[in-house]
Amino acid sequence: MFVHSAHLVGRSGVSRIKYTTNIVLILTLVLTLALMSFSVSAQDASGGSFAVGVEAPVNLDPATGPNDQEALFNRMVFDYLVDITADSQIEPALATDWTISDDGLTYTFTLREDVTFHDGSSFGPEDVVFTFERLQELESPALNLLGAFTVEEGEGNTVVFNISAPNADFLYGTGQRFAAILSSEDTAFDTGVDANGTGAFMVSEYLPGDRAVFMANPDYWMEGAPMLDEVTHIYIEDKNAQVDALLAGTVDYIFKLSLDQVQRLADNDFVTTLQVATNQHPVIRIHADEGSLAEDVRMRQAFKLATDRDQINEFLWEGRATVGNNNPIGPAYGPFYDPSISEPAYDPEAACALIQEVTGQERISVTLRGPDAFGGQYADMATLIEQQWEAACIDTEIEITPEGVYYSDGTWLETEVGITGWGSRPVPQSYLVEAYVPDASFNEARWNDEEVGELVAEAASTADTEERAAIYSQIAEIFAERGPIIVPFFAPMLGAVSNRTEGLVMNPFPGLTDLRMVSVSE
Amino acid sequence: MTTTNKVDVGPDAPRPFPLRALRTILSILRQLAERPLSLIGSLMVLVFVLTAIFAPVIAPFDFDQIATGPRSAPPSADNLFGTDRLGRDVFSRVVWGAREIILLPGIATAISVLLGATLGMIAGYMGGWVDEVISRLFDSLLAIPAMVLALVMLATIGPSAAGIVIVIVLLYTPIITRVIRSATLTVRSLGYVEAARLRGESTLYIIVREILPGILPPLVVEAALRFSYAIFLTASLGFLGLGVQPPSPDWGRMVGEARNNYFQAPWTMLYPALAISILVIGVNLLADGLRRIFRYEGQL
Repeated sequence: MFVHSAHLVGRSGVSRIKYTTNIVLILTLVLTLALMSFSVSAQDASGGSFAVGVEAPVNLDPATGPNDQEALFNRMVFDYLVDITADSQIEPALATDWTISDDGLTYTFTLREDVTFHDGSSFGPEDVVFTFERLQELESPALNLLGAFTVEEGEGNTVVFNISAPNADFLYGTGQRFAAILSSEDTAFDTGVDANGTGAFMVSEYLPGDRAVFMANPDYWMEGAPMLDEVTHIYIEDKNAQVDALLAGTVDYIFKLSLDQVQRLADNDFVTTLQVATNQHPVIRIHADEGSLAEDVRMRQAFKLATDRDQINEFLWEGRATVGNNNPIGPAYGPFYDPSISEPAYDPEAACALIQEVTGQERISVTLRGPDAFGGQYADMATLIEQQWEAACIDTEIEITPEGVYYSDGTWLETEVGITGWGSRPVPQSYLVEAYVPDASFNEARWNDEEVGELVAEAASTADTEERAAIYSQIAEIFAERGPIIVPFFAPMLGAVSNRTEGLVMNPFPGLTDLRMVSVSE
Repeated sequence: MTTTNKVDVGPDAPRPFPLRALRTILSILRQLAERPLSLIGSLMVLVFVLTAIFAPVIAPFDFDQIATGPRSAPPSADNLFGTDRLGRDVFSRVVWGAREIILLPGIATAISVLLGATLGMIAGYMGGWVDEVISRLFDSLLAIPAMVLALVMLATIGPSAAGIVIVIVLLYTPIITRVIRSATLTVRSLGYVEAARLRGESTLYIIVREILPGILPPLVVEAALRFSYAIFLTASLGFLGLGVQPPSPDWGRMVGEARNNYFQAPWTMLYPALAISILVIGVNLLADGLRRIFRYEGQL
């Protein structure tokens, strides 16, 4: 081959020039193609538009808007003092670092320099002070984690929080969805189109009930973010219609799907289904105060023995969920979950014996109330429970009402035997403070156990993970021994994305899914 | 064979009343049988009524029995209409469901007809302030959209079988009252009513013996139509989750529950939806046949 080439080259000077020219042309072509290819890859990695199918938000004020669709909107526009990642880690955001005093009562945050709001005004300590004082004025749900505090501007570009008692979850409180940092110069925070944050995206268009369009913030502080040029939230109330929109390519990301909906998407080549372990769980609770059905601890045990959690998990989730152990601290909390605490297996005969021991009657009758949530899943669960309890000497009448009606009519806390759906929280302390300490605002089981109250208070002031885990383990043991609730399972969060999506990690609270480093390939 | 479109329900019919009623019923049935569409409608309704009565014999499983087969399994020899998400037999649930979909609207319609006919005759015959009070009260109720009123009431009193009956009665009594009041206004000016009044008959006697037979045609047609709408309303409320409670085999609720997995298990939605459609069409054909028999041309 080499000889042959030499022969060709040697034939004449013209041939040699032609040959050299051809080689140069070919090399140029190859180089051009390579550069074009590189350029295309670079375009793949950033830019483009992305659409999310989601229910329409109602209350866009970050301080009070509680639901996924509202958090999703605000997560686009606003930043937080710290970021809480999908796996519950705390990372710097508008605060670059922070220090905690030795007594655990003073938190000093150093703020990021050169950050601006979308209207061009500068971000500074006064905005943080304004935001957190506003949470107090509005009695925002954020206070459940933050507790009592004062906030003031510190030296230089810092803010200082003083809290009345050590609070191991205070940092989580500063990064929760209600604590989006607002501009102290603004006065309206729930208009949507005027939302003015420091976030990665700016509101371009907002049509209530129809869509919201966000454009990339060119001055965003995070290097390389956002990767997308444009994000659209398309408001679709019906979950099945959201699935249709994903299959039609109208949207790229949907979440909070039922198992049926995920199964429908599973065999599709253009879509990837997502599953994240969460602490979202239903609670079946029985009133336990004086004169109520479960005043006697033996009656609480009877209901636990009467409930087959494995069957519920198998029928509703095909085994995908984690069977609960009748306390709200699930395996998603890692070290705080104690798997050694076992609950009694389904034993209807033992349940019957306990019921007869307590009441002196062969059978008891109850009305089980609950919301019609998660695509009929709670109604199915109630049906399974009714049959399980029937074998355990408990005759059950089911009363399932639409979710909005159930929680809004003010009677769900009065219900003696009821089902409640609890969404995922970043820390277990939230559930305990909200529902299980004496005088908790949602003490739906009317359970006033002083020891639990003391342990929860102790956990709040314990920063050491091991010590805190030990306290939660003690609390879980009390729940096993005398708790008036049944947690049948901890549900996975199910969602789906188009296959052109890259870099999306679904948050257990899916409205908080971070889209800043998400990209699409065209 | 000679057919007649005139039913002996007027004031000239022979007495005693029970015999006359029997003759009337036989006459209606005969004339229904002579009209193909009316016959089909009557047979459709009859099939569902028989299904409701003999549900324990027809259904192979209890309506709430889970795991009768694999979950969300398609129709097979063991499960004729397939199974739902909990493995319940859809055929058995549809069969048992016929009882509720006929019984609840049936009871509610009967109460509505009783109240509506009574109030309508009183308002129409007595007139004056009695008519004003009844008419204005029901006009205000009729001004509210039926479904909105139903949703608000059920959200207030809670979803249950009794709640559905109350809602239907409250919704349909004003409508029946208005129809019967109009019919009564026509009948009250007839000579035989005037004669009874001149004879010194009591108001109760005149309403029951003279006016009631005269307003029976619109009343029967209206009752059949209201029954049809009541079935649809019951199913709609079930679909919205405000109807009869689980694990009851309410057809509307079955369709609502199946909505989330109709792509995986379309049979769970198809059969209860078909049953609702067929029953409503059957009742409507029956009502239309009755209207033709009575030559009732009033507002339906």
